[in-house]
Amino acid sequence: MAKARAIVKRLKAVRNIRKITRTMELVATAKFKKAMDRASEAAAYTRKLAEIVADLSSAAARQGTTELTHPLLQQRPQIRKSILLVLNSNRGLCGGYNASVLRTAQATLAENRAAGIATSLEVSGKRGINFFRFQKQDMTDRYTHFEDQPQFDEVDLLATRYAELFVRGEIDQLQVVYTKFISAARQVPVCETLLPIASLEPGAGSTSPAVEYEYLPSPAEILEELVPASFKARLFKCFLDAAVSEQIARRVAMKSATENADEMIRSLRMTYNRARQSQITSELSEIIGGAAALE
Amino acid sequence: MATAQALRLVVVTPERTQLDETVESLRFPLYDGEIGILPGRLPLIGRLGVGELVATLPGGQTTRLFIDGGFVQVNRGVVTLLTARALPPESISLESARQQLDVALAKKARSPVELSMKDAETQRARKMVAIARQN
Repeated sequence: MAKARAIVKRLKAVRNIRKITRTMELVATAKFKKAMDRASEAAAYTRKLAEIVADLSSAAARQGTTELTHPLLQQRPQIRKSILLVLNSNRGLCGGYNASVLRTAQATLAENRAAGIATSLEVSGKRGINFFRFQKQDMTDRYTHFEDQPQFDEVDLLATRYAELFVRGEIDQLQVVYTKFISAARQVPVCETLLPIASLEPGAGSTSPAVEYEYLPSPAEILEELVPASFKARLFKCFLDAAVSEQIARRVAMKSATENADEMIRSLRMTYNRARQSQITSELSEIIGGAAALE
Repeated sequence: MATAQALRLVVVTPERTQLDETVESLRFPLYDGEIGILPGRLPLIGRLGVGELVATLPGGQTTRLFIDGGFVQVNRGVVTLLTARALPPESISLESARQQLDVALAKKARSPVELSMKDAETQRARKMVAIARQN
């Protein structure tokens, strides 16, 4: 009797957990959808920016000013100070999402240490903050206000600060560790160096037939202005990617949790039925035995 | 350019495409002053200033937006404005704009870079105050 009741209790608990994980899965799906929409809307900006950059650099090349000399593009001969920005989530229960980012971050930290680069760590997301606190790593900055819908204005503040630090020579490098969104089925943790900007052109841009533009002011001057804008857009994209990937990771984790709970419910129910059956059988045989003894 | 009779205005911010409409004409601030665009404009790439974008719709009404720097590309009847922020003027309150102006004016500038930043900020705040006052 006691065994059957214990199983019923467990069954109830598992069912409750299933309800929760199922709800979280649905919530994550909805949030993923939203984050995805935002990310694809934001892509329009980056695409247009790349288009203008392509047009401008071809025009600048025609005019003979091939080399860009924006301070943000400047590769320093020796890297002494670096900022490592780690994008994590505020909430857990999203499978390996946080752990894989943190692993990449740890590897980068170790690399920098081996190369003798003084790295100051900046972490966004409570999960990452707790991890580094546990590791007794010093963090220069912590952010917990980036949720599943990062705002450009907030990222803009960070980007402006990084750009200023870089221009003033207080840092020689900005690295960002985040989960890059490649497709809905594939996200990989990566470490990207955002400053100095490697190249403005993201791969082979669309080489549309050259249009004779009028430039106000000169192409070179517009390009100067484009450099910080493109840096900001890139940093913002990192945040958007991280947000989208987090929701996907959570959805997948919760989906498998729900499936596991289903399986557990099935096996528990079977065990319970068996226990109940054997209880009935033993009770019956007792009654029959008792009746037989009376005869 | 007889074919380019329609003018499409697209305002893109890093977060989303704010506006995508057919307009009759529009004017907006460039880095050194205002520019007006009519259908049939030759291709142009330019740097935006801070201020107000006013677009006249085919019906004669106007749409206004506060834009905060960025770039413009005009090509084949499509005007694309890339800007960090595009706010409807109703969302700018006079009070907060004045506050921003005070903050910008109170800033101490010790180097040429800081000075130009301060100038840019005060200019932006002044423009915001001016727009908020029109509401």
